[in-house]
Amino acid sequence: MARNKKDRLIQMAPHFCGFSPQGVQSKPGSEVSINFEEYEALNLCDYELLNQSEAAKLMNISRPTFTRIYESVRRKIAKAFIEGSYINFEDGNSTVSDWLKCDKCQINFTVTDSTGNFCPICKSQVIIDNK
Amino acid sequence: MIIAIAASENHLKANVDPHFGRCDWFCLYDTETKKSSFIENPVRYHQLQAGCDAALLLIEKGVKMAIAGRFGSKVIEVFKANNVQMIIPQTQQTIAKIINSFISQ
Repeated sequence: MARNKKDRLIQMAPHFCGFSPQGVQSKPGSEVSINFEEYEALNLCDYELLNQSEAAKLMNISRPTFTRIYESVRRKIAKAFIEGSYINFEDGNSTVSDWLKCDKCQINFTVTDSTGNFCPICKSQVIIDNK
Repeated sequence: MIIAIAASENHLKANVDPHFGRCDWFCLYDTETKKSSFIENPVRYHQLQAGCDAALLLIEKGVKMAIAGRFGSKVIEVFKANNVQMIIPQTQQTIAKIINSFISQ
């Protein structure tokens, strides 16, 4: 049996579901799926301009693995651009680091040592751990 | 406690800016005196490290909580090291609404 994939650490999942090309009818089977760790790899490398070994450290994976994920997302984006297909974001082997969520106030937040483990706005203890 | 909110314009009806490092203004709200003031973000056009510079500037002013639509990975590390709490609203909200939710605690 193949070994389980190590969980990739991501800071935040994308806050939207994907992209659609203009003026093209959706054909079933032509969508491209990008998972959250690939989105995070692209974000760290091309948006925040980190180099690959720094980004790999942040995602808690080795540098070669990071390069593989980054390569794969660039191919997928190129494919979607050239063929005019839809891009969907979906869950992969990833965990979200350190962010907590309060459903009532609709916020994500982090906690520090000096603040307690409760929502900073409504002070309720009913929070969702993203892990 | 001083709260920093990333703002797209310098009035209370402005929206929370979607990016922390490159927002135009910061709204600083003091929960004890209940007063808010706006400061311009001096580092928004820096090519690199805009978020880190902005974060260090706010930490110097004694900010203990930061609110923005998105934080970069380096900013998150800086804030964590300095015990600053970060908040991301999931829906588009105005600054006045956020400040009101702290007043009504």
